[in-house]
Amino acid sequence: MVLRESGRAIGKTFNVEALVRPTLDIGVDGGAELLAFADAVLGADDGGLDNAREALADRLGPAAVSAASIIAANFSKNDRIANGLGIPIEKHAIEATVEIREALGLNDYRSAVNSLG
Amino acid sequence: MYRKSKFLVRADLNAIHQSQVEALGDPGTWFSGQQRLAIVEEARSALAGGSTSGRDVVLLLAHQLAASPQGFTETVYTGALDAGLSDAEYVEIVGLVSRLVNFDVLARGLGMDPVQLPAPKAGEPTRERPIEAVLEGAWAPTIPNGKQGGELGRGLYGGRWKPFIIRALSLVPAELRKHYELEEVQYLPLDRFPEYEYRHHEGLSRPQVEVVAGRVSALNECFY
Repeated sequence: MVLRESGRAIGKTFNVEALVRPTLDIGVDGGAELLAFADAVLGADDGGLDNAREALADRLGPAAVSAASIIAANFSKNDRIANGLGIPIEKHAIEATVEIREALGLNDYRSAVNSLG
Repeated sequence: MYRKSKFLVRADLNAIHQSQVEALGDPGTWFSGQQRLAIVEEARSALAGGSTSGRDVVLLLAHQLAASPQGFTETVYTGALDAGLSDAEYVEIVGLVSRLVNFDVLARGLGMDPVQLPAPKAGEPTRERPIEAVLEGAWAPTIPNGKQGGELGRGLYGGRWKPFIIRALSLVPAELRKHYELEEVQYLPLDRFPEYEYRHHEGLSRPQVEVVAGRVSALNECFY
C-alpha cells in the first residue's frame, strides 16, 4: 500500500480504508475530490464526470485534473496487465500487507489467487 | 495530440503518446498492423460499453480485458490457448488493450474525444520469441531479473531489478518497452519510486497520486 507508506514518510496517517469505501475521509488534501474524479473517469456518467472534473479543478487547480487523468490512465493500464497475465505480488509485499489486505477485503478479489494461491 | 485540451499535458508525455498511437497500426511481434488495429478498436468499443463484434478468440479477449478486468482468471488464459492463441499472442493482446485503455481513459479524464487511430501499415510481424523467457509465477513466461535474463533482460531492465508489473509483458519485448516508457513518464521514473516526497506531476503530491492510483485499482479489483 503505497498510500500508507507515502503518509508515513511525511509523518501522516491516511485512512486507506477510504480507497474501498470512498465516503470515508481519507485524510489527504483534496482526497474527496480525487476519489470522486477516479470513480467518474472509470464510470459511464458523462455529466457526473464533468462535475467531478470541475470540483477537482476548483479544489486543487487545473493541473490536478491533468495529473489525476494521467494517473487514472496509467493504473487502468497496469491493472489490466496484472489481472490479464496473472502476475503475483512480490514476496516481501505479501508479507508487508497481511493486515491491510484483510481490512480492505482485497483477498476477496478474483486476482488474489494469483498471489495467495 | 492533447494540444486542444483545456488542461495542460506535458510535452514529453504528449510526444510519447503521439508516437505510440501512430505505431498501433504497424506490424507488431505476432500480429499485422490490420490485426492490431482490429484489437484496439474492439477494446475501444468495449470500454465505451459496446457489445462484442464477433466470436473470434482474439477479439473476445480484447473485449473482455477492456470491459471487465475484474473477472480475469487463469481459466481465461488457458481457454484462449485452447482456442488456438499462442502464449506470446495472448501477451501482445494484453499489451495492446492495456495501452489503448490508457490512451482512452486519459482523453476521457481531460474531457476530450478519444485519440484518432492510424491507418494500418503493410508488413510482416517480427515473430521474435525471447529464448530467455521462463515460467516464474505469472501465467505466461517472463524474462527473469539478473543473469537468468541474459543480454536481452539486461537491456530491457537496464541492469536493475524490476518488479513483476514491469516484467509481465516481457515475452513480447516490444510491448514491454512501450509499457515501461509510459510508466516512466506517467507515474514516475521507477528509480525514484521510494522517494515519497518526489513530485513527478505539477498538480499532485505523491499521496494525492496514490489516492487516484489506489481507487482505480480498487475499482478494477487488482490485487497486485
